[in-house]
Amino acid sequence: MKIVLPGDKISDSVLRMENGIVENGKTYATVIGMLDDEKGSFIPLESVWYPRQGDFVIGIVENSKNNVYTINLDSAFRGLILPPPRPRFGGRGRDFDRGGDRMEERIEPMQVGDIASSFVKEVKREADQIILILERPRKLYGGKLVEVRPSKIPRIIGKANTMLRKLEDGTKCSILVGLNGLVWIKGGDVLLALKAIEKIQEEAHISGLTDRIGTLLAAGVSK
Amino acid sequence: MKEKPELIIKGKRTDGRAFDELRPIKIEVGMLKNAEGSAYVEWGNNKVLAAVYGPKEAQPKHFADPERAIIKCRYQMAPFSSLEEHSRSGPNRRAIEISKVTKEVFENVIMLENFPGDEIDIFVEILQSDGGTRAAGITAAATALASSGIPMRDIPYAVSAGKVGDQIILDLNKIEDNYSDADMPIAISPRLNNVLLLQMDGSMTKEQMERALAMCQKAGESITKLQREALEARYK
Repeated sequence: MKIVLPGDKISDSVLRMENGIVENGKTYATVIGMLDDEKGSFIPLESVWYPRQGDFVIGIVENSKNNVYTINLDSAFRGLILPPPRPRFGGRGRDFDRGGDRMEERIEPMQVGDIASSFVKEVKREADQIILILERPRKLYGGKLVEVRPSKIPRIIGKANTMLRKLEDGTKCSILVGLNGLVWIKGGDVLLALKAIEKIQEEAHISGLTDRIGTLLAAGVSK
Repeated sequence: MKEKPELIIKGKRTDGRAFDELRPIKIEVGMLKNAEGSAYVEWGNNKVLAAVYGPKEAQPKHFADPERAIIKCRYQMAPFSSLEEHSRSGPNRRAIEISKVTKEVFENVIMLENFPGDEIDIFVEILQSDGGTRAAGITAAATALASSGIPMRDIPYAVSAGKVGDQIILDLNKIEDNYSDADMPIAISPRLNNVLLLQMDGSMTKEQMERALAMCQKAGESITKLQREALEARYK
């Protein structure tokens, strides 16, 4: 494993990757990251969140107008929650083209400043910016919202949610991790959870992290 | 007008450096927690802090470019930074110019096309100045950007060269900057080998210019190495 900086060569061949750029048939890094030559994997140490369909996100309601909510996702992209399509009655009856059972899908009314979790339904290129159409919004009551570095989120969640489960068990908090870089924590030992998340971010690139977090949580609980 | 001081005495410069010698440079990364990326550079007596924020929604809206992100850059000298007069705070003609050229350096290396309608903010604060602050500022901002995770093609560096009599000198300090026959700050993207900034006060012949450029490129290798060490040290 070695540290690679923006502009360093990752590979002599063309690799299509989020944090790389191809020039003259070679791939170069665009962010700081760790390169494993044997596996050929490149893990960014710092990066910007690039939205994908189905990403779970957390944001703050910035504006609500005509049933459309604008969500501040604390990133380069803005989210929109559109009202569910109204079923058409009469004629051919229910509009099945919309798919799913939309009748039951209602959006809980939200105020400006509320915290909402949601999923990215569509990444849309509008005239002057990229906006995210969000679906299945859920209003989050209370709790604490923390900013984390988007590149550290895979570590906060862990392989098959192991780290997140460990955090939840160790602190008795309910934790939601938005891939856009916002984490929502409620109940339990919030301070301990914050401390653990801070530690994960600081030491994400050093192996044996799960054990160290385990020790930290165990020490915190006994207090 | 003040009398021109002797800039080269017995083959050495006023501060005892050789002609092609850089001042001692120290780079630190990541001291500002609120910023996406930050760097602090001590370049001789220059002390420079650079911070990077974004990408975020461009404000005001009519500045936004639908094709790419815009860069907002602010170069600012602290009121206490200089040995000489302490002018009013706020941007002056010089600061506006340096902000503009710094912005243009980074427009060529940041992958702005990834973030249409957004802005990236770069702040360069000169805490103490001793000549060559725009070069130090660009080097600091480049390091801050590299530590921020904002995608970029390369990490540029900047350095200045000048002329005293017939002698080409590297990395001019304040007194050399004021009284030399020519002063040429230059910013280079080392991998792409592109010149991103080239300004000059005074005049040089073609041959002198080539010598100055070669000197800057050679110095650039050590600046790039320092940037790399500073960035890597954060993850040790």
